[in-house]
Amino acid sequence: MKEEVVVEPMNVTFARTMEIFTYIGLVLMIAPGIIYLVSGAGFVGVESAVEHWNEPSSTFWKETKGIEIHGYSWFLNNLSYMDCLSIVGIVLLAVTPLISIIAALPKADSRYKVILGVLVLEFLFAIVRPLLMHVTGH
Amino acid sequence: MLDLGWAFWPLALFVFTLVIGIIAPISGVGGGVLFVPLTVAFFPFNVDFIRGAGLIMALTSALSSAPHLMKKGLANLRIMAPVVVVSMITSIIGGIVGLWVTNAFPTGKYYIYIALGIVLFIIFVVMLTSKRVEFPEVTSIDPISAKLGISGAWYEPSLDKVVEYRTTKMPVALPAFAAVGFIAGMFGLGAGWANVPVLNLLMGAPIKVATSTSMLIITVNDAAAAWVYLANGAVLPLIVIPSVIGITIGSRIGARIAVRARPRFVRYLVMGVMLLAAVLDIQKGLSGLGMI
Repeated sequence: MKEEVVVEPMNVTFARTMEIFTYIGLVLMIAPGIIYLVSGAGFVGVESAVEHWNEPSSTFWKETKGIEIHGYSWFLNNLSYMDCLSIVGIVLLAVTPLISIIAALPKADSRYKVILGVLVLEFLFAIVRPLLMHVTGH
Repeated sequence: MLDLGWAFWPLALFVFTLVIGIIAPISGVGGGVLFVPLTVAFFPFNVDFIRGAGLIMALTSALSSAPHLMKKGLANLRIMAPVVVVSMITSIIGGIVGLWVTNAFPTGKYYIYIALGIVLFIIFVVMLTSKRVEFPEVTSIDPISAKLGISGAWYEPSLDKVVEYRTTKMPVALPAFAAVGFIAGMFGLGAGWANVPVLNLLMGAPIKVATSTSMLIITVNDAAAAWVYLANGAVLPLIVIPSVIGITIGSRIGARIAVRARPRFVRYLVMGVMLLAAVLDIQKGLSGLGMI
């Protein structure tokens, strides 16, 4: 008879949360992404992107849109375009581990509550760091 | 109607990642580690966008497989959490340094090519020399692992029983994971090639636990580094979408084939291709700098 394995609630909650947000993120990334590829039109038109995709990212944005990129406004302010909407799916995937850690926090013992808490702070730092550095002029 | 003029490279990228996806599970070499160096060698995209796509690809693959492995007891948050406290920071630093080099110096991308080639050589040696221990014996536990109560269990069908395990040597493993995090962030590589030997050979995690928990570590490290690439506009859907779709479909096909056959020569063939990519990347870097 197959023996049962008891998986810790902290692990189960983390896994379930990750599963749900990954599905949503994948759909949000791929569906608009395919529309963008098929239509060829977006915040950065494919013809223009192809012309400059051999340049470093900073030069690419100067050449295609005449802008400098610092932070997330480049796609958040242009959500009517399919390429930027596709980036929102990527953002959701990139924030999924953070959401999963927060969901698992209440199920963790006191030592892991501290460790997961530190992870949440580090993750938040990773997200807001580009904004803070831009504001302070770095 | 699609103009194949511009559509050629995204289509080529789709086919290329489809093939990588099929080969990766059969060879046991991670798709993430093949994507960046080969794309740098054969595609016209700037290395910034290739690394951004590599990170998103590795992140997507890890996010898709980690939950299932956690529910089985194979991937363990108890091992992952203390490790990524360190490696998340270094992966962010790696991303910042990598993008800074290519954007601050006109010849920056050539230095990245050369560094990538050297890292590939190191990966090649690690893959060639590291052994895999199915069930390592853990005789003593270090104080940190003991305090954190790092242990777990999973049902192993080949033994028809629940296998319990513990891990050790956390203080020695942390600097290793810090270095791996930096490399993953800087080059947009999946880091299973390094995570697995550290977890398995150093910390004493059974090989299945090591490969599964490595996936969990990649979800956090690559997600943190992805924010650096997003904030610098180094994530292009035109490159990311064909790559993710290709690798996702390919890895499903590859996983089915791998269940039936995993010929050893395929692993050596892929490692040979990796070596070739390392040489090509270094050659591309040196010729860009006018040194050859």
